[in-house]
Amino acid sequence: MTAALLTLADARLPAGGHTHSGGVEQAIAAGLVHDPSSLAGFLLRRLQTAGRVAAGLAAAACRGGDPAALDAEADARTPSPALRAASRQQGRGLVRVGRRAWPSPLWDALPAAPHHPVALGAAATAGGLTPRDAAGAAAYLSVSGPATAAQRLLAMDPLTVAAVTARLAPGIDAVADGALRDGLPADADPLLDLLAEVHAARRDRFFAS
Amino acid sequence: MITRVEVVARRGPGGRTVLPVVRGSGQLAVRRTGPASVHLVATAFGPLGGDDAEIRLVVEEGATLAVRTVAAAVALPDRGGDRPSAQRVVAEVAGSLDLRPEPTVVAARAHHRAGLTATLAPGAVLTATEQVLLGRTGEEPGRWTGTTRVVVDGRPLLHTTVGLGPGAPAWLPPVAPRAYASTVHVGQAAGVLTVDDAVRLPLEDGWVATAWGAELHRVVRAVEAVA
Amino acid sequence: MPPDHDLDDYVDAAVPHRHGGPLRVGLGGPVGSGKTALAAALCRTLGAEYDLAVVTNDIYTTEDADFLRRNAVLPDDRIEAVQTGCCPHTAIRDDITANLDAVELLEDRHPGLELVFVESGGDNLTASFSYGLVDVQVFVVDVAGGDKVPRKGGPGVTASDLLVVNKTDLAPLVGADLDVMRRDSATVRGDRPTLLISLREDPTAAAVADWVREQVRVRVVA
Repeated sequence: MTAALLTLADARLPAGGHTHSGGVEQAIAAGLVHDPSSLAGFLLRRLQTAGRVAAGLAAAACRGGDPAALDAEADARTPSPALRAASRQQGRGLVRVGRRAWPSPLWDALPAAPHHPVALGAAATAGGLTPRDAAGAAAYLSVSGPATAAQRLLAMDPLTVAAVTARLAPGIDAVADGALRDGLPADADPLLDLLAEVHAARRDRFFAS
Repeated sequence: MITRVEVVARRGPGGRTVLPVVRGSGQLAVRRTGPASVHLVATAFGPLGGDDAEIRLVVEEGATLAVRTVAAAVALPDRGGDRPSAQRVVAEVAGSLDLRPEPTVVAARAHHRAGLTATLAPGAVLTATEQVLLGRTGEEPGRWTGTTRVVVDGRPLLHTTVGLGPGAPAWLPPVAPRAYASTVHVGQAAGVLTVDDAVRLPLEDGWVATAWGAELHRVVRAVEAVA
Repeated sequence: MPPDHDLDDYVDAAVPHRHGGPLRVGLGGPVGSGKTALAAALCRTLGAEYDLAVVTNDIYTTEDADFLRRNAVLPDDRIEAVQTGCCPHTAIRDDITANLDAVELLEDRHPGLELVFVESGGDNLTASFSYGLVDVQVFVVDVAGGDKVPRKGGPGVTASDLLVVNKTDLAPLVGADLDVMRRDSATVRGDRPTLLISLREDPTAAAVADWVREQVRVRVVA
């Protein structure tokens, strides 16, 4: 591990992540997330589906996989238009800051607004990181952003939320390890798709997704 | 037990579909039930854990094929260990394939893995449904893992793995349904539609609809409502 | 640190501090001070002179964007609303990604764009725009907040390129002394200008519009 990984996974990296709740805003509206334990359940669900998919794609992109082909595989694993838009929006944001932080010809090989995991893989490569690092960042980011979104929306104790996130670490590591072993996982959660589409149709929301 | 099924549909004289290959071995027999339709008939209980079935379907350009089953399949646990049962449908479609089997019921302690890999030529039409119920009446839910991959003209259109039942990644309270149904269609586009516990998502020239809940008949109605 | 350490290694010489494209003007300030009303007034007054667009940062809804649409100050395709994830100040200062996306979208859609207003979500006196997002920023406070607001300072009041004190018509009603506000502003702001206005009395916001014209002119000359 190098310090570049800490930068890449830092919630304060200005890549637009803070405007996305990863489905938590709608899960709260639907009554599915309301306390630390239901939040932990939601984050586990997300980690083992969207997080696992993102980790696989990020590792493959970092390993030098064709970005356009991986972007198409990401589309196939993200049939929800709202989730596709959210992923591409965050990918575009990461490219914007990554291009400045870690100059590399790799950025020009990416689609205009790539899926976030594909951009993450490219950023990892450009930053001198490994596929395992890329997978780790993808898995971590799949829960860290939603956790703080829930904290803001429910006015939860930040220490409690930090503890929930910290205790997910073994699960995050397992997902990242799996990304090196399992090719491109396709784990889906139709509930997250439904929540994302209902959320996207709302006009009263704090978060972009 | 190893089960192998193969059906080839071809455009015959006058544009009518003919089925030059219709064969099954192991736990499934294949019956021709129409000029362009077949039913798969289970010839034994199961599948049991450890059983492996592969169903190969080829629908050539200009041909149509409908595939049905005569009854629900009940996936039972491995007698000796904890191996899952597996059933893979591998389809190559240049014509039109309509795949609508009866539900799969996964008994307590069983784990069934279902796979659909459909490789479509440009202009091919596909409708494939899946209906799953975890556990027979009064029984604990079994586990089901279903992977769908649809490739159109060499480009991946849809690739998802849904896990249901105890131990599955996204099967956690409060949303841990016993019944699940899904339909994927390629051939005619449709937009997003959401209702309670059901969602339709657009695909290029198609859509995928999914519903879940406690009772299979309601879930099947829900998926038909958004399909 | 080695003696030959070159600080330029840490900075992109090739990336200009200021972007090209239209002049980006930030409109910030506390809730209710009149940011949206000012944005609407500026669009009405300047809409015929400049190719312009607006980005709104509502906190929870698309209310401000809807207000601008409803009042037809600009066509729909010149108004973009962004979500700020419960943190309006983050979206204009710390992580400006969503706002940059919106500005770039408007620039792509309207290649001749000359002026973009970025209206922040209503926040507190510490909220200010990053100069990575805007070229100049206007901070809007109002008389109803009390005549102590300029004296209390905060980055918006002290460092904004223009301070607007709105609702001067309310001064007698709330017991605010405009001279105190004018004097305190001058003290904390040095050479930076302050304008005391009433959008009720002058719905064209003529003084602020003049200031914006000057910013466009200075930028074009530069």
